Parts: sequence; structure tokens; C-alpha cells
Amino acid sequence: MIEMLLFWTCGLCACVGALGAATVRNLFHAALLLGLSLVGVAGLYLFLGAHWLACVQVVVYVGGILVLILFATLFSADVMGLVQRTPWPLKVAGSLGALLSAVVAVRLLQIVLANAQQLDRVRGKPGVPDVIDGSGTSIGDLLTTSWYVPFLAAGFLLTVALVAAVATVQRFRRPARQPQQPAEALRG
Amino acid sequence: MGEFGPTSLASYLAVAVMLFAAGMLAITTRRNAIGVLIGLELVFNAAALQFAAYGRFRALAPDAQGQTAAVFVVVVAAAEAAVALGLLFGVYRTSKDIDLEQTRELRS
Repeated sequence: MIEMLLFWTCGLCACVGALGAATVRNLFHAALLLGLSLVGVAGLYLFLGAHWLACVQVVVYVGGILVLILFATLFSADVMGLVQRTPWPLKVAGSLGALLSAVVAVRLLQIVLANAQQLDRVRGKPGVPDVIDGSGTSIGDLLTTSWYVPFLAAGFLLTVALVAAVATVQRFRRPARQPQQPAEALRG
Repeated sequence: MGEFGPTSLASYLAVAVMLFAAGMLAITTRRNAIGVLIGLELVFNAAALQFAAYGRFRALAPDAQGQTAAVFVVVVAAAEAAVALGLLFGVYRTSKDIDLEQTRELRS
């Protein structure tokens, strides 16, 4: 009973936070609601037996990416959303697009679930395994064996992203003030 | 499998579909670059949740393959956020705001 209550709390946090982050006008509130959604998804990871992934979700997403987004709200001249109002045709088109993408996703999931059940019937196995090892050790074993090349590629991607971010920021830095020439200083 | 609950794949997929739809809504309707970034993070989160859910409910091999794939989704999201923040900084330097409707160029 408590497990069910916790599960639905996490699911509701994820869904309500996501919908709020997509719709509220205030950007700061949107970022905070994104944090609520991320924490809800981390709770769902716990129910999936993915304890290490839940820790990664909290540390990287909530502790890293969310802080970056909150920091980026400082760049906006209209954090409260008073000026940049979305025109209603764009709102209608976006809502229809989101609805259409959800319908397509649900249909695809129905096909996948039907195929999975068919596969279960053919193999005569239950669909839900009892135990799954979601510890860091098992994920580390996978990362150093069958996922070795993607692991290296991810490291390379992070390095490139870091260098690219620094290079982009360097390019847009204000030029340093030139020291005044003595003649100009006398004139000025 | 049919009922909704912690032991049902369908419930996790329903949450993932909600996250994906909310992310698409944010990407298409937000005029501010940070709103679009938030939508992208929601879509990435939906993908990672699906990877973990499918990995948990695989019939024959209950191992951590899905969770490992989800870790890579998190890595890609982190890289994307870092580059996006650099680009936002550049947009802010050129136009003093990050309204995507007003941004026309990135040259300083």
C-alpha cells in the first residue's frame, strides 16, 4: 500500500512538474518545476531497481543541469514572462503537435507491448523478472565490456562539449580595454 | 502487465509519454531559449525513463543494459546543456536578451 502510494506520488510529481515546466510563464518557476519532475523520475528509477541511475539523475540532472538552467535565467530580460507572450496560433499549433506526438508515441508503445506479450507467450516466460542488479558494479562491468566503445565515445563527447562551451564563451568575451597612449592621455 | 502500478511496464511508459508530450509542448511554444532548453531536457528524460523501464521488464535477460543506455542519455543531456549555455551566453552578448524571435545572428 505504501509502495503504491510512493509510486503514484513519484509519477504525479514527474507528470505535473513536466506539464508545469512546459506551461507556466515565469521561467524561474518553470526551472523549479523541471526539478520537481526530475526528482519524480529519480523516484521511478528506484522502483525500477535502478538505484545507481537514480543517484546519477539527482547528482547530474538536479545538481548540475538544473543549476545551469537556473543560472541561465539570469540572461533573460523577461524572467517573469510579462513581455514575451506566446501568440495564440503558436499555442494551438504547439498543443496539437504535442498531442499528436503523444498519440504516435502511445500507438508505438502499444505495438511494442503487443509484440512483447506475443514473445512471452511463445517463450512461455513471465514478462517481469524478479531481480535486477542496478548497482554501480554491474553497470561498471557493462561499461568496461560490451559498452566499452560507447563509453569512450561518451568521454570524447563530454571533452568536446567542454572545449566547445569554453571556446564559444571566449569568442563572445568583451575585448580588453586598450591602455591609453601617452599622447592621448596628455590630450585627454 | 495490464494494470497500472510499480510492476507494470505500461505505467512507466505512460509517464514517459507525458514527459515527452510536455517537452514537445515546451519546445514548440516557448519563445525564450531557456524554455526550449527545459523542453529538451524533458524529452531526454522521457527517453532515459523508457530505456530503464524496458531494461527492467525484458523477459529473458534481467540485466542492467537499459540502465547503462539511460546513463548515456544523461551524458548526452549534460553535454547539450553545457554547449547550450555557451550559445545562450553568445546570444546574450550580441542581442542583450535570449528571445528566440528577436535573435537573428550570433556574430559579435
